[in-house]
Amino acid sequence: MKSITLYVDNHTYLTGLHPYTKLFYVLTAIAVPLLCGRLWVFGAFIAASILMLISAKLLRKAVPLIIFSFTILITIFLIHGLFYTRNENPLFRIGPLLFYQEGVLYAVRIGLNILNMLLSFATFVLSTKPSDLVEELEKSGFSKRFGYIINSVFQIIPQMTGTMNTIMDAQRSRGMNTEGNLIVRAKAFIPLISPVIMSSLINTRERAVALEVRGFDSKEKKTFLYDRPKKKADITLILFFALLIIIATVWRITLWLP
Amino acid sequence: MKKIFSTKWNAATVVLIPVCIGINFLGKLFASTLKLPLWLDSIGTCIGAILGGPIIGGLCGAINNLVYGLIIGDNITIIYLFTSLGIGVATGIMARLGFMKTFLKSLLTACVAGLVAVVISTPLNVIFWGGTTGNVWGDALFAYTQANNMPVFLGSFLDEVVVDVPDKLITLIIVYLICLALPKKLTSLYEADAEIERLD
Repeated sequence: MKSITLYVDNHTYLTGLHPYTKLFYVLTAIAVPLLCGRLWVFGAFIAASILMLISAKLLRKAVPLIIFSFTILITIFLIHGLFYTRNENPLFRIGPLLFYQEGVLYAVRIGLNILNMLLSFATFVLSTKPSDLVEELEKSGFSKRFGYIINSVFQIIPQMTGTMNTIMDAQRSRGMNTEGNLIVRAKAFIPLISPVIMSSLINTRERAVALEVRGFDSKEKKTFLYDRPKKKADITLILFFALLIIIATVWRITLWLP
Repeated sequence: MKKIFSTKWNAATVVLIPVCIGINFLGKLFASTLKLPLWLDSIGTCIGAILGGPIIGGLCGAINNLVYGLIIGDNITIIYLFTSLGIGVATGIMARLGFMKTFLKSLLTACVAGLVAVVISTPLNVIFWGGTTGNVWGDALFAYTQANNMPVFLGSFLDEVVVDVPDKLITLIIVYLICLALPKKLTSLYEADAEIERLD
């Protein structure tokens, strides 16, 4: 069964870090530039994320995640560069299109924010195994029901995609058309999706019975298979990130004061 | 009031949530395989809301976006966690009020869910994207409003309305048809006000 997660276990330092450390980096990378509000801070965090991805040999995996957002970034540039309501000073012209300084600056700000979020998340998502994160969350006191929900999503989705392919083949062999104009394709949607939904909903009953039989509702304390102590590097990094956030907050407050 | 939000907390509802997230995922996948101009990614959330009530619906929506964002890497969707949560809660409340009983009433539920989605998404769109939604038709309308010097908020609002309301209409029509066909054996698992009759 194909896994749907993006996690790559390549045994670099980044996969070895504690999930919380990486999560804290994501928080820092998003919060600090927003607090400072300067464009170069966004740039600095984007560079830091890219360097981390290169050093952990994950950059090639991260590219598809970034490219996905490029169409949206281009629409943002076009719409705000051309039509932003506070546009006054013309910047440059491509053919009949006149771009304005204010709109382009606004678009750059939005674009950098999005790139920064995508890249910092990429460092986390590509180097952390979801079930590890869930287990750590459960250890820190999250409910085990929540943990079960997240973990089982990763089992259910590949299973359902498998069923979906079977049903698609079955319906095609009965002569259903899945290609053609919009009406043909829209008509194909219901006969394709309803059998998958029905069968998976009906399966929930059996799944629930199976869980109850294995003591899912038991109130006993759970034990864990793996032990992941925080290393020295984890603690140093978390302290460093906390310091960055504090500096940024103080800087923000001094800006507000007269 | 108590009846609307009452929820059964047992293994059955816990199992329902991942299945609904899976259904959301499939809806999105089918819509993109068939190249339909809609998202159709809240079918599962609505089914969860109708079967389990507003709280389960809201949880389905929120966890759905969290999983996509944190783990599958499509992290822009995390921002829209509140939208999904709103859709789930709104559909759940409408269903508990009896607005999923007939076809026409379910269309009303769809409009409510669509408007809730619009109201929550518009500020998020303005803050994070400067007003665009990423849907071609909606963004064309947004560009038109901006060219005519209308405020960003109004433009973004119209942008969302054009995309979200038809999307939720189609979604809830599908959900209505599916719920009609669900066996009683299954739906009775989630009925919060069900009473157990003892014969001894």
